[in-house]
Amino acid sequence: MSQHKASRFLGAGLTQVILAGYTILALFPIALIIINSFKSRGAIFDNPLALPTSETFSLIGFQKVLKESHFTLYFGNSLTVTITSLVLILLFGAMAAWALSEYKFKGSRILTLFFAFGIMVPIRLGTVSILKLMVSLSLVNTLTALILVYVAQGLPLAIMILSEFMQQIPKELKEAARCDGVGEFKIFFQVILPLIRPAVATVAVFTMVPIWNDLWFPLILAPGDSTQTVTLGVQQFIGQYVTNWNAVLASLTLAVLPVLVMYVFFSRQLIRGITAGAVK
Amino acid sequence: MSHVSLKNLTKSYDGKTNVLSGINLEINDGEFVVLVGPSGCGKSTLLRMVCGLEEITGGDLEIDHARVNDLPPALRGIAMVFQSYALYPHMSVYKNMAFGLKVAGKSKDEADTRIRNAAKILKIDHLLERLPRELSGGQRQRVAIGRAIVREPKLFLFDEPLSNLDAALRVQTRLEIAKLHRELAATIVYVTHDQVEAMTLGDKIVVMHDGLIQQAGSPLELYQQPANLFVATFIGSPKMNLLEGVVESAAADHLIVTLAGGQNVRADVEASTATVGDRVTVGVRSEHLWEDTNGSERFSGTVNLVEHLGESNFLYLTLSTGQDLTVRGHGDREVKIGDVINISAPSAAFHVFDRDGKAFKRLKPGNMVAAKRVS
Amino acid sequence: MKRKFPWHIVVFLAPAFLIYLVFSAWPLIDTLRLGFFTTNDNGSQTWAGLANYHSLLFDPLWSEGFWNAMKNNCKFFLVHMCIQNPLGLLLAALLSMRGVKFAKGYQTAIFLPTLLSVVIIGFIWQLILSPLWGVSEKLLGLVHLDSLFQPFLGQEETALYTLSAMSVWQFVGIPMMLIYAALIAIPDEIIEAAYVEGASAWRIFWTIRVPLILPTLGLTTILTFVGNFNAFDLIYSVKGALAGPNFSTDILGTYFYRAFFGYQSQIGSPTMGAAVATLMFLVILFGVGVYFYFIQRKLQRFSF
Repeated sequence: MSQHKASRFLGAGLTQVILAGYTILALFPIALIIINSFKSRGAIFDNPLALPTSETFSLIGFQKVLKESHFTLYFGNSLTVTITSLVLILLFGAMAAWALSEYKFKGSRILTLFFAFGIMVPIRLGTVSILKLMVSLSLVNTLTALILVYVAQGLPLAIMILSEFMQQIPKELKEAARCDGVGEFKIFFQVILPLIRPAVATVAVFTMVPIWNDLWFPLILAPGDSTQTVTLGVQQFIGQYVTNWNAVLASLTLAVLPVLVMYVFFSRQLIRGITAGAVK
Repeated sequence: MSHVSLKNLTKSYDGKTNVLSGINLEINDGEFVVLVGPSGCGKSTLLRMVCGLEEITGGDLEIDHARVNDLPPALRGIAMVFQSYALYPHMSVYKNMAFGLKVAGKSKDEADTRIRNAAKILKIDHLLERLPRELSGGQRQRVAIGRAIVREPKLFLFDEPLSNLDAALRVQTRLEIAKLHRELAATIVYVTHDQVEAMTLGDKIVVMHDGLIQQAGSPLELYQQPANLFVATFIGSPKMNLLEGVVESAAADHLIVTLAGGQNVRADVEASTATVGDRVTVGVRSEHLWEDTNGSERFSGTVNLVEHLGESNFLYLTLSTGQDLTVRGHGDREVKIGDVINISAPSAAFHVFDRDGKAFKRLKPGNMVAAKRVS
Repeated sequence: MKRKFPWHIVVFLAPAFLIYLVFSAWPLIDTLRLGFFTTNDNGSQTWAGLANYHSLLFDPLWSEGFWNAMKNNCKFFLVHMCIQNPLGLLLAALLSMRGVKFAKGYQTAIFLPTLLSVVIIGFIWQLILSPLWGVSEKLLGLVHLDSLFQPFLGQEETALYTLSAMSVWQFVGIPMMLIYAALIAIPDEIIEAAYVEGASAWRIFWTIRVPLILPTLGLTTILTFVGNFNAFDLIYSVKGALAGPNFSTDILGTYFYRAFFGYQSQIGSPTMGAAVATLMFLVILFGVGVYFYFIQRKLQRFSF
């Protein structure tokens, strides 16, 4: 009896040790980089584990990054590409999901399969031809090229998640609208779109993160100075300044911080979205 | 022999507010005890405490005179049938029933005998190799009961087992559970929010509300002598009619109450503790009000609404004094909305509750039979 | 009544269909086609049949690199299967237990690295493991293990495993979340029923919970497979296109990149790149096919 309770207590203690231990392991490297980016070069090497003090505090790395690279430009590029792609994926994805889940027509099954194929097969494998295509459309070194590729990459998963969600919308709702003589487009934009908002959050998470973080397509399709994204920009910058520890740490911090800030604000919705989406 | 005592059990999640307080209950061997009450009254929590799924905050739970508060469920000698049946979805019916026995270290042969016996009793012997999802709701229900039976527990616990079944199946399964109880001579604690289920199944019914036992007794006791206003209105359908009034005169064998409209009503209750001028509530069940002018206590009212049930009608009346009454009338009698009708009841039919809702003891609860309806 | 042509369906489908067709499906098909061609010195392409594949699989000039990348990629995948997914299962199981304090906080923190770019993660670990900085050595010193420190990323024997471990560290949050979601979807009453029947937490985990989440474990396996055989960013940003030391960290993704764009004296060839991509496609298709035809079919989803 008390033994029963004791073993339970022990179990809870062990659980905490494992979870807390892994959490430290997960956060430590990131924290270490951020802390040291605010220190002078000497302090980084003398005592990497210490927090910056008034003597060791230094912003020299950040000054270097902001002066030597177009960090704000890269950041703007990443934002433009990610947000535009996301909006298009959600809009076009929802429209296609609606057509595939709502209307019965010849070939709808084949089309569904056609889109589903893209979930499993990475778009990267088509890179050779994508580059050829972009060259012939003279879209190389434009953000448009990236957006088009990312929309194509994000659509299959978006269509799958959204159409599963749309199938759960009660039939009565659409039928009521049709009985009132509402047109198909109006039904979609005014009845269905507002209803799928919760699923949109899930899709946004699954599509946004890989786009923001991608290195492959920026490297191949838009390596030009004016079209670099943050990920590529940081990669190139670090390649150039390997030995300047202040600058390297500062550029990594600059790349991490926006994501970190976003995560602090939205982690609850984000995790709920993933958990809800994953059960499907 | 199994005997269960709940001694002053309390439950609290935060250490401050009690979800359950001071629960005292004796459950005798072979008894079918039903815990009934509205949702949130604590009945399921109490069942889960008996089961061992919820910790007991205070008091003692004894099974066969041994304190089991800190024993895990499996060592308490109980088996539970869950509301959702909680069958293991990936195991066949046979394996579902065998799981607990295997955990308990029973031999394969013994487990097999027990499972086949239980399956025969429950008429599921042809389903043993199926998976739960291949079964109908009623069949799943039987498997859940079978899983409890094979463990040969001292005490069966049922948590709203019929609430996932449709109406027809519910009545049938109810009968089967009653039969099973007799055949197995099992001791059962059964939770439901449905008073019909409670009345039809229970040897002893425990009415709960706000984390307290309001009254425990046989079905007839609860119907005839509800201890307070809550039990009076909870048991019986339609709800008991309630009329506000003031004590006009009180005696050991009767009470005269002046109702809000000025009319006097005599009730045959033990009222020696009542004082003239006290506010009281008079209660009378719709089936004890008859369209008639011969009874001792008379009312007259206008019909607002009629519900035809076939064998009887429910007439919803408004009295001239503005109060509402529900009357059960003969099914064959045609009544129209707007009709003014006279109704009456014998003085034995009335319940009276004091200011705190506590009932005065009725003296001749069975006397209604003598006054058999005339209309 | 003659029905009107359903223009609205066309309008709903057209944008998604066209973008997906032109920028995803067609390039993939075109890549498969290009694999059968060869690039001449003047840049024109001519039919070559299976010549590219023959070189890749059998001509030592190409095949050595290819099989090396393939072998490394399999190791990369195995490390994920043996460490990432069991670790994800363990963390998810602990998080899904009832009454674990700070569970939400742990979950949030452990998932964080998956949101960061692989490039950033790669650099972060490169710095931490750098003998120049000496952080890892110092940390190992705290537990008197500093003698174990080696330039893990610089040695042929350890570089690939170190990179795999970095990737596991970053992505363990994904199996954790998927498995966690599946675990909490199991109704409480089923777990309680087993507990009432006397099963220990250990037994409940292995005989009730794990069998019920097998479909999710299958899904994590195939997601890991596709992700691993398509990986590139981490190796490229830490070790560059040459995937050193001495190609010991070369995987199919980096091999594909070199075949396509060339390196050092080797000139890049779109058609050779296409052939490599085709082989990668076949590997992934094989994995997905095995999953759908042999595994997913056997694992029924349980509706509760």
